Amino acid sequence: MNSSKLRTAPLHLSRALHSSVPTSSRVPRACIVSKWLSSRNFTAAPPLAQESIPLRKHLKDEAKRKKAEAKNNGVVKEGKGDPRLDNWELTVGVEIHAELNTACKLFSNAPTEGSDGVANSRVAPFDAALPGTQPQFQVATLLPALRAAIALDCEVQRKSGWDRKHYFHWDQPNGYQITQYYEPFAKNGTVSLLASDGVPATDLNGADSINIGIKQIQMEQDTAKTTHHPPSTYHVDLNRAGHPLIEVITLPHIHSPQTAAAVVRKIQSVLRGVDACVTGMELGGLRADVNVSVRERGTEGTGSSYSGVSGLGQRTEIKNLSSFKAVEDAIIAERDRQIAVLEAGGVIEGETRGWTLGAKETTRLRGKEGEVDYRYMPDADLPPLVIGSDLVDHVRSTMPELPDETVGRVQKQYGLTVKDAKTIVDLDEGDRLEFMEETAELVTHGLGDQSLDQLKIGKLVGNWILHELGGLLSSNEISWNNMPITPTELADILINLQNKQITGRVAKQLLNGLLEISTSPRPSVDRLIDDGNLRLRPLSEEGYEALATQIMDESPDMVAAVREKGQKGKVMWFVGQMVRRGEEGTVEPEKARQVLERLLGS
Amino acid sequence: MLSARSCWRNASKTPYRHARYIVAAEGRHDSLDAIISFPDTQSGEGAEEEQHGQATISSGLAGKSIAVKDNIVTKDLPTTAASRILAGYASPFDATVVKLLRQHGAAISSKTNLDEFGMGSHSQNTNAGPVLSPYSRNGLPLSPGGSSGGSAVAVATEQCWAALGTDTGGSVRLPAAYSGVVGFKPSYGLLSRWGVIQYANSLDTVGVLAQSVEDARQVFRSLDVFDAEDPTSLPVSVRQRMRLQNSGSGQLRIGVPKEYNIQELSSSVRSAYARTLNALLAAGHTLHQISLPSTRRALSAYYVLAPAEASSNLAKYDGIRYGYRTSGPDALPKDNLPLYAQTRGEGFGEEVKRRILLGAYTLSSEAIDNYFIQAQKVRRLVQQDFDRVFAQSNPLLHADTSNSLNAEGVDIILTPTAPTLPPTVEEVKRQSPVESYMNDVFTVPASLAGLPAISVSVPLSGQEREGLDEHDVNSVGMQVIGQFGDDESVLAAAKVVEDLYY
Repeated sequence: MNSSKLRTAPLHLSRALHSSVPTSSRVPRACIVSKWLSSRNFTAAPPLAQESIPLRKHLKDEAKRKKAEAKNNGVVKEGKGDPRLDNWELTVGVEIHAELNTACKLFSNAPTEGSDGVANSRVAPFDAALPGTQPQFQVATLLPALRAAIALDCEVQRKSGWDRKHYFHWDQPNGYQITQYYEPFAKNGTVSLLASDGVPATDLNGADSINIGIKQIQMEQDTAKTTHHPPSTYHVDLNRAGHPLIEVITLPHIHSPQTAAAVVRKIQSVLRGVDACVTGMELGGLRADVNVSVRERGTEGTGSSYSGVSGLGQRTEIKNLSSFKAVEDAIIAERDRQIAVLEAGGVIEGETRGWTLGAKETTRLRGKEGEVDYRYMPDADLPPLVIGSDLVDHVRSTMPELPDETVGRVQKQYGLTVKDAKTIVDLDEGDRLEFMEETAELVTHGLGDQSLDQLKIGKLVGNWILHELGGLLSSNEISWNNMPITPTELADILINLQNKQITGRVAKQLLNGLLEISTSPRPSVDRLIDDGNLRLRPLSEEGYEALATQIMDESPDMVAAVREKGQKGKVMWFVGQMVRRGEEGTVEPEKARQVLERLLGS
Repeated sequence: MLSARSCWRNASKTPYRHARYIVAAEGRHDSLDAIISFPDTQSGEGAEEEQHGQATISSGLAGKSIAVKDNIVTKDLPTTAASRILAGYASPFDATVVKLLRQHGAAISSKTNLDEFGMGSHSQNTNAGPVLSPYSRNGLPLSPGGSSGGSAVAVATEQCWAALGTDTGGSVRLPAAYSGVVGFKPSYGLLSRWGVIQYANSLDTVGVLAQSVEDARQVFRSLDVFDAEDPTSLPVSVRQRMRLQNSGSGQLRIGVPKEYNIQELSSSVRSAYARTLNALLAAGHTLHQISLPSTRRALSAYYVLAPAEASSNLAKYDGIRYGYRTSGPDALPKDNLPLYAQTRGEGFGEEVKRRILLGAYTLSSEAIDNYFIQAQKVRRLVQQDFDRVFAQSNPLLHADTSNSLNAEGVDIILTPTAPTLPPTVEEVKRQSPVESYMNDVFTVPASLAGLPAISVSVPLSGQEREGLDEHDVNSVGMQVIGQFGDDESVLAAAKVVEDLYY
């Protein structure tokens, strides 16, 4: 899968967003599909292949599913439908691993993996665990990590440390991963979710938003990539080995599968928004583990306590989920399994389980006895990580706008609805928003003295970008990245429209036409208008009356319908006829309506 | 044939030149298995000239032949750490200390034998064949000490001018004492460990073996620079601070720890120790009894911490990227067996496996609190013991040490390096692992505290040598320990001890 293919995502997304998706939910913009082998497990069993599903298909399926859910009047296919949930409460905590956006690895100056990386071409001696090599912490990797911590409202710790987490696996050259087990660099954060983030009403309990606690964020090393060449050959590529990751650990504050998926989505969008994270879930840049427990409502469960949250049931952990859907479905399956076990009088074992996309059940990977003892130990080669408050302040003051802040600003500055603002912010990694802001500025400037107020221009530009342009791209199956229209061209079209130089119909035609012109340099919009003779040549008052009268004469029934039966809506039929019959670019619908209303005496 | 006595009286700083002759007389092969590999260009002179040509720093090391312990990586020679698991391993880079030696014009003459990965006190746990001491007792070869036994023997038998070793719990000082040479372990963090194969990386230091304190000092000074490749290398600012506070020479206040007067101390060692203290007193220095109460627990702490770190540091040897790999497939994934059992089982020697297992246990979640954490606490107590007795304060704890002289404190501590003369290798074989760990009881505390320490040989008196045949050792190692960063004072004091006799 290459990145240009991935870029097609927004096409389907925009379609999905403008079909009948319930307003409360956001469709995930991307999915998996890295083959994250069970690298973080100590199982030597062949890795659980998480099936690689083409992105388009995934998005289509996702949209279909949401549609179907919406048809059921908001009754989620399971969930509320399952009477057992009246008795059992689910509790979930999530751990999210994300690749930091850095130029070099965490402990060596080898460059981080690029898409063109030849296997084992970006490997410093330490990354290959050559004898006598030592880690050298690369300070620059701290910056995106700090942005993540600040964006998730964490307390950045003045002093944190590095620990070795031991397990043998061929993707772990040193035999241990360097992580921050005893002293993470950031603690006690929060992520806040709205209904529009996909939180079900039952979780909101009437509030506008819910807060999920972040226990800690730690920095750590990524593993190598292994590929299986059956029957028994494995290839190891160390390019990714030592790439900096952050692990974000939430408190067990989540009580529905939908909210869990929403948390993962939200954290991903925050991380991307502050440029902390390289890629979304689609490139394996982000992976999640979830821990799941259930307790009978009104009880203390088995009295278990995790991260200071007590009175919970025995939990299990499901590892290596690499899509939002996998997070949601795996939790549903595990919750249902636990309830079934408990209702049958059984006991939940603390164990690690796996999940394969499309499966009905989670599968046991290892129990407590098989549990790896990671033998965490401070890395004596690495001095403690000391982060001064001046650095934190500096990063805070230079932080990019957070996604939620951007949505707020777009609503306020451009008069868009929450839904449109959110959509435009989420699309194309911010490219769509940038396009809109640039176009709006050009339009404002181009209209000069006769300028509308900013809100009206914003609304106009927003509508054209999301709906007209979005629709065109969608029906022509063109991705945003291959979209040839520039902000200047769109602005020129809208300025002409606003100045009544062209009709709306012509504007749409121009937009469509521009998509098809591949010559370079392209003629300017004004040139196209002139060459096509598309400029509005307004009919005289008499001209309008003559055309209207002609059409009225041809359709006495319709005239009667308006005059005698008072069917005023039929006036618009006459307007349509006039626009169609008049020469291209001569009839303005508004003006035609006024003339018709007068003549029809309505 | 020269008698041992006449040899050192012949104005040589090398009392044990005769070792060569002993070896020749007994028809043993020439190197006593001290060397694992030589450069291809066998002609020593040619090689030296070639090396000399690369020198970029004018130095007393120019043209000198220096052997390097085989757990320090070199580009031009294989590096095996005397382990089968690294059979034939060729490093793509030179260790920083090796690079520095080359820059100073020294010739890397050979790679020396050692206890596998530095784990041992007698240089017998080696895949390259046990190192032999030039000395013997009743026809039985003695232990050369370990783990840098190859470096010590190479220096003692003049197979090189000086040698690099590594010292984790005494691995430079003990073989120096047993082989009759000088062995210096600098403060932790002074000499770069980039390219030094880790055993217990919070304790590992590069050390120098030489025939005299002066030679050791010269090598040490050539290597004593900050290295950005080693994250534990002391920064330039700390080095400058330490340089300012080095205690001057002149009259020394010498600490004599009462806890080192243990039952296991042999009579000849005890006598030589007392004689040396008296000689120092007579030379105008003062003696002060001090107490280092955590000494007894230090050895236990060391044998928890070092294996714990070893179990982690040696996890990388899996046969996948380099080194030894079992023939046939390693454990099959479908059998759900640990992946590398076969390779690691065949590649590591018994002592290494013992320490990996011990370390894996003491780090396990059931044992870490009782072993690893407790041992770290003891380590801290050991450091505090030393900080209490030295006149200088610890520069790592106090940025400004100019006014913090402890008037009651001592400049250096003098102890024997080992409680006994070297045992024969037969005795070593009969020892349990724990008994053989006892050898390190005097050297381990300085390692735990990261302090500079040196072993300098003093000749045994006729009385002390009574009952020993002419092939047996002529000397016993005395250890000088100083405050952290006070390396120059330690070298100066060692010179004082050396000058008492030679």
